[in-house]
Amino acid sequence: MLNIQTRQEGSAAVVTIQGKVNFEVTAQLRDVIRDTVAQEQPKLLVINLEGVSFIDSSGLGLLVAARNSVDKNNGKLHLCSLPVQVKKTFDQTNLTNYFSIFATEQDALRGA
Amino acid sequence: MNKGVVLVVDDEPPIRDILSFYLKRAGYQVLLAEDGRKGLEAMAKLQPDLILSDLRMPEMAGDEFCKTVKGDPATRDIYFILVSALDGAVSRIGGLALGADDMIAKPFHAQEVMAKVESAFRIIEMQKEIKRQNQELTRFQEKVKGELELAAKFQMGLLPEIPGRANGIRYTHRYLPAEGIGGDIYTILPTQDGGAAVLVADVSGHGVTAALISAMVKTSFEAQVRLGGGPMDWAREMNRHLCASTLSEQFATAFLACIEPGRPEIRYVIAGHPAPFRLHRGAAGGLHRPEQLGGRGFMLGIDATLPFEEHRAPLLPGDRLLLFTDGLVEVEREDRRLLGEDGLMRLSAELPADGDLAADQLVGQTRSFNHPVEFTDDVTLVVIDRVD
Repeated sequence: MLNIQTRQEGSAAVVTIQGKVNFEVTAQLRDVIRDTVAQEQPKLLVINLEGVSFIDSSGLGLLVAARNSVDKNNGKLHLCSLPVQVKKTFDQTNLTNYFSIFATEQDALRGA
Repeated sequence: MNKGVVLVVDDEPPIRDILSFYLKRAGYQVLLAEDGRKGLEAMAKLQPDLILSDLRMPEMAGDEFCKTVKGDPATRDIYFILVSALDGAVSRIGGLALGADDMIAKPFHAQEVMAKVESAFRIIEMQKEIKRQNQELTRFQEKVKGELELAAKFQMGLLPEIPGRANGIRYTHRYLPAEGIGGDIYTILPTQDGGAAVLVADVSGHGVTAALISAMVKTSFEAQVRLGGGPMDWAREMNRHLCASTLSEQFATAFLACIEPGRPEIRYVIAGHPAPFRLHRGAAGGLHRPEQLGGRGFMLGIDATLPFEEHRAPLLPGDRLLLFTDGLVEVEREDRRLLGEDGLMRLSAELPADGDLAADQLVGQTRSFNHPVEFTDDVTLVVIDRVD
């Protein structure tokens, strides 16, 4: 099951995701990200993927869409703490070069 | 106006008369019978909505009559009220155990009977409404199912006929959509210069939306190949096309390649797709060392400005290529392990020469690895042998 938590860190919003991100759960995740972007209008949105065991193409699509919606608000999206399996998926799809990816949440919050 | 049909079964004429009087006055159509057997005869002519039946009667008593009505699929939905003296011969619970929907104790007040009849008809109306809605749902479901089956057939028709031959290659495939209709697509086309153009793509998500986009991806590829150029041009233009015509979360991973006549190589673009395996001299079957083609790149449809990279790899006559989508290797087993590309590579090391046998073997071994978990995503496997 997917576990999603959101919190504020100064002007940044942090979304922490745990579980398997696939087609079945994208609707739930999409709502959380959309609400966070719409309500907080964060300068920086950090998505912590440390607890994600698997991400499929629908999940990747969601993150791409998240980046686009944050971009539109002149904000930034930082991803952090990618587990090895998730990193592999990002590498394979070249998304490592599309997103700003940080090793830790602290780095992601500090990262310019 | 007729509020419904009530069958009154009682061997005492005064009771039949009094119930008949009240029921008719309340607007019901009334059928009368003096015992269960006569009741069944009356029902054969006109099916009632409700039966009010006495328990004790000389010919076919109320309990047997009730069991007969409730035991027949054609009549078991008729609301059955058993009218009986509660003298120990039958308890309320006993009557309900016979299948009766309700009971009325004798002696009764006509008002009590009428109140029960009115409430029974409210239930009958509700049941009819539920039945009607159920039928509507079933009809709708069948219609959608039929349309999906048609769409799935249409989608299968979009795939190349197999086993097939194009300029210098022989190919076959296995295509297993997760929901009858899927987001995987592949095609092989002859190019103007006598070569072959190959596409394998996997649209994000599955089901109808993914299938619609997959058809679009295929059309877009065909249009690009017709215009000439190479995999790099095709990928760039298809990306632009897909960005312009799909929603933000929809995109496709793809492998696009061309095999040119007389050139011992394959030119390709990997757009976020699992890289195919190449088996040197693999078309002859036997033991080989599969190599995964190098390179990676963005998926199609993310951003119109993203760059793509074209790669080249040797591909000689007698070589074999295995193309697949991630659905083949990303099934989570009960012990949470995945076959993965490494696992598929191990399974690909020894395959029969015949492309179809090779495809069956690979899909079969993948299934055994996952057993008892089934494929959860669309699965495509394409075997291409270079023969020129």
